[in-house]
Amino acid sequence: MEAILKVKRFNPEAAKPEPYWQEYRVEVEPHFTVLDALIKIREEKDETLSLRCSCRSAICGSCAMRINGHATLACKTKLSEMARGRPAVTVEPAGNMPTIKDLVADMTPFWSKVMAVEPWLQPRGPEPQGEYLAPADAMQHLVGVMACIMCGACVSDCTVLEIDPNFLGPAALAKAYRFVGDPRDQADAERLQALSRYSGIWDCTRCNECVQACPKGIAPMDRIMALRDRAMDAGFRNNTGSRHTEAFEEIVEHSGRLDELRLAIKTFGMMNVPAMLGLAPVGLRALMRGKMPPIFHKPIPNAQAVQKLFKKVEEAQKGDRK
Amino acid sequence: MKFAFYPGCVSRGGCPELYPSAKAVCQKLGLDLVELTGASCTGAGILQEKNLLLGDTLNARTFAMAEKLGLPIMTICSTCQGVMSQANKRLQDDAQYKAKINGFLAEEGLEYKGNVVIKHLLWIIVEDYGIERLKPLVVQPLTGMKIAPFYGCYIVRPSWALGFDENGGRQTSLERVIEALGAEAVDFSGKTRCCGFPILTINERNSVSMVAKHTIEAKDLGADVMVTPCPLCHLNLDGYQPKAAAMSHREIDLPILHLPQMIALALGVDHKTTGLSRHIVSLKRLVEKVGVRA
Amino acid sequence: MLECDVLVIGAGLAGMRAALAAHTNGAKVIMVSKVHPVRSHSNAAQGGINAALTDRGDSWEDHAFDTVKGSDYLGDQDAIEVMCSEAGREIIQMEHWGVIFSRDEEGHLGTRTFGGQRRARTFFVADMTGQAILHVMYEQLMKSGVQSLEEWFVTDLIVADGECRGCVAMEIRSGTLQVIRAKTVVLATGGLGRVFEPSTNALICTGDGIALAYKAGVPLMDMEMVQFHPTTLKGSGVLITEGARAEGGYLLNKDGDRFMLKYAPSMKELASRDVVSRCEQTEINEGRGVDGCVLLDLRHLGEKTIKERLIQIYEIGRDLTGIDITKEPIPIRPGMHYQMGGIKTDVDGRAWDVKGQWGGIRNLFAAGECACVSVHGGNRLGANSLLDTVVFGRRSGEAASQMAKDMKPTEVSEEKWLKSSEDKLRSLLAREANGDSVAKIRWDLGTSMVEHLGVFREEEGMLATKAKVEDLKRRYEKVAVQDKGKMFNTALIFGIELGYMLDCAETVVLGAIERKESRGAHHRLDYPQRDDGNWMKHILVHETPEGPRLSYQPVTVTRWQPQERKY
Repeated sequence: MEAILKVKRFNPEAAKPEPYWQEYRVEVEPHFTVLDALIKIREEKDETLSLRCSCRSAICGSCAMRINGHATLACKTKLSEMARGRPAVTVEPAGNMPTIKDLVADMTPFWSKVMAVEPWLQPRGPEPQGEYLAPADAMQHLVGVMACIMCGACVSDCTVLEIDPNFLGPAALAKAYRFVGDPRDQADAERLQALSRYSGIWDCTRCNECVQACPKGIAPMDRIMALRDRAMDAGFRNNTGSRHTEAFEEIVEHSGRLDELRLAIKTFGMMNVPAMLGLAPVGLRALMRGKMPPIFHKPIPNAQAVQKLFKKVEEAQKGDRK
Repeated sequence: MKFAFYPGCVSRGGCPELYPSAKAVCQKLGLDLVELTGASCTGAGILQEKNLLLGDTLNARTFAMAEKLGLPIMTICSTCQGVMSQANKRLQDDAQYKAKINGFLAEEGLEYKGNVVIKHLLWIIVEDYGIERLKPLVVQPLTGMKIAPFYGCYIVRPSWALGFDENGGRQTSLERVIEALGAEAVDFSGKTRCCGFPILTINERNSVSMVAKHTIEAKDLGADVMVTPCPLCHLNLDGYQPKAAAMSHREIDLPILHLPQMIALALGVDHKTTGLSRHIVSLKRLVEKVGVRA
Repeated sequence: MLECDVLVIGAGLAGMRAALAAHTNGAKVIMVSKVHPVRSHSNAAQGGINAALTDRGDSWEDHAFDTVKGSDYLGDQDAIEVMCSEAGREIIQMEHWGVIFSRDEEGHLGTRTFGGQRRARTFFVADMTGQAILHVMYEQLMKSGVQSLEEWFVTDLIVADGECRGCVAMEIRSGTLQVIRAKTVVLATGGLGRVFEPSTNALICTGDGIALAYKAGVPLMDMEMVQFHPTTLKGSGVLITEGARAEGGYLLNKDGDRFMLKYAPSMKELASRDVVSRCEQTEINEGRGVDGCVLLDLRHLGEKTIKERLIQIYEIGRDLTGIDITKEPIPIRPGMHYQMGGIKTDVDGRAWDVKGQWGGIRNLFAAGECACVSVHGGNRLGANSLLDTVVFGRRSGEAASQMAKDMKPTEVSEEKWLKSSEDKLRSLLAREANGDSVAKIRWDLGTSMVEHLGVFREEEGMLATKAKVEDLKRRYEKVAVQDKGKMFNTALIFGIELGYMLDCAETVVLGAIERKESRGAHHRLDYPQRDDGNWMKHILVHETPEGPRLSYQPVTVTRWQPQERKY
């Protein structure tokens, strides 16, 4: 059967380098992945089409690209599924990175961010003769993060990186979690302090793009959330992000539902005049239109039941930790 | 059709115009609502950062309440929908986990067996009510209007927690409602991206940049208005649009409608009920374009 | 011109281990790789890494014996002793660097039993051991600050006056050529899997270093020994880890019989790879296969074990074949997997000359799959390849840096070498299209190699492939490359790689025709028995102006006399 692929091309050596779409029609087998089709195009139709690929089994991380608008590995994406209900399968280079040529993205910024989290084990004290002892379940948990193949699919689709290239991004932060979560690593405090700064863990919008894009089920966003929790536990709370989270929890515990006014005040601190003034224009405008949360917040009818649940769960968790 | 109605905090807090709009639309459609007044906040993903078990427990409590009523839950907020769907998946996939959480709920006499269906009003209209049944109810067709759909993250990702595999139509549900009301849907790349609201207090610059990016893209593609099933997106896209305009040194002026407001407009619900005058970005011109006065 | 003491070509496990060892030893190191290091094929080693940890009652001698027996007595026992006795130390080093090995309940390193071995001594990280170690090695490399030229393709080795003085390499991104001058050079470029079609190997495994050394006159050894892995997917040839059988998977024929019970009653599915592959092929050839395959059945392991310990295989089944391995058996068949032979080196990675001595190109080293120490002989044991890379990677890095300490910088005429490499590329780019293509030639090569140099071989077929390779070499001389650009010209790279592959293929075929017996992976229908009297020796191939020449080296036997091999 025939498949139609629309591939975004870019030739940096053209007189006027501009990306453009090129359509390829290629004979494919039912089991073909998008990569199989691209290789066939490259081998039989157009040798000038450049892309990275190597292992064909989702382990080398070379072939991350956008297929039908979303980042994934071409080698683990079934062509027939992508073609269903569409006139053509679109293939573009990974996003949030400059394109070198055709489907080849420049991963230099990607690696410099990974480098920025000091991605190597930092144990302290004398090395043991044999292996470090480490709980089996802790290691099993880490395998789920370590399975990251650094393909860049998460970075490609990250909504924050799209508007702020300084953000460390999902791959580097998941990598950081791999060390913070490692019982052998002793640099947690330094790591968490650094990650709590601007462009770090608190800049993630929790949009789930990276969770959706990751071809290895790493769920980078969930790792970022775990880092937030760890950072707060380690005492790095002097930032709006952690104040916001703590205030949110406190308010829900208190009244079972959200109180936006109190949340804002608690997040910024009543005495943070510049931030409050910053909120004011929006607040005033909203007030004038009647689009404002009620000043007198009403708890849910049986708020005590929720308060009890908070206590029960927290007590149970304390028990589990022991 | 009867639903356990979960309005969420923001529909009565930061976006007080949403709650009455939704109720009015449900009334027009003949959807029978039993409001879950005793239900708590879902945790909005924020509580889950610190304590996933706690978040799932609060949601299991809500599910148990609906299960007791024997009703599916209806949400009107993408974030509530997403957080609840994810929690429900964890509870349904892991009997041991569910049993642990039911242990916490026992004192209140609640137990979640795992059978609740949670659906956003948007999905209910598309899947249960039916687009074809909606069309004849339109008294004020939105003909000639170009509407940009803005889904909000939590109602589209992660797709496996939201039943997208079983209900492929959810991917284009907003567009189909827009078209059923007589308007034209504007396709733009930002429609499933993040509005920036969750980091508003943390990194306002980034947050507002997202507002600017999406509203400008839609505007430049000819959109008259944007519609969203998520009140949190609304807070940012509407409330921070003036800042976004200032930051981008250009006018944007793209009104943002809640999904029920858009439907209400076409079904002829009076504008006072739907609070169209309460928005930051004025809907005046738009309403004039539709042909009735605000 | 870039300059260093030790130049490492290739950045898989062997290359990075060599670079780190040389760096630790005080050398200025440059590492060059045609792909980013974490894209290297070491990733694909799924199942584990062997080591006998003596503090838990295992003995390295047992491991060494299993390796000798697995090699069908073609492995050099002195080298095997080095590898097995240093294995424990390397495992601990990897663990200290951060590898997340699976643990037992007390928090010690956990093990699984791999094929051809009598003890559980395979350390592992789920079914992604290679990836786990490779990424940690790259972490250590980032930490070390070693200069790493990523996505640079080596076009020539600089060999003059019996010395290897560096290489010419192309920065793929810009297409610019650079001379890299070095005192010593370590080749760690991996295997030649793509010479076969299909193969489990990544598309980058094109035998570059093997061919570069061969063209420089360095002898290659045991090239006829090509491992066919028992469990690969039909079509793509993608690998299903031996871990699947180590965890207890069954092999079934079309009647649902566990046929390995008949062939290897004691080790069953976990007999040596060459043995299992032959049994499968026999079942298929005798009509008990299913559509050219046999079945790997994992259902009885249960969903939990599969999803915890065989994650990748679960995904590969789902994504590439649409089979849920927790519910259905998966069709598999033997597929080309590993090259036991390679650049003949000693245990310090030093490339040998034809006389079996360290004397040809004295400052050239090799490690990993491109090298042949020989620890694998006629058949490599599962989970010995990762071990080979780290032990001999380290040893060659140490030896190369040690040697560099006493050397003055070599003399290299930058201009001359740049020009000769440029001319070579230019002539390839200047050719007119003639209807033939790099991809077609590679396909013809690979399919012919699999057809006649597969699990079962015989003279007639191998001669046909020999003629085919000669013909393809002629076609290669005229083939054109469509992409004429400079930047990220992958077509150009494939064109050069094809030349490397053809050179490698030639040596495999010559060695295989020469060895008139069956040993390890080399099984001849026309000589079905092992013949220790005539063939307990290595075959070496080296290039001369008159064409390839064969010679022999004795096998080193230290304490294990050849016996009949039974599993």
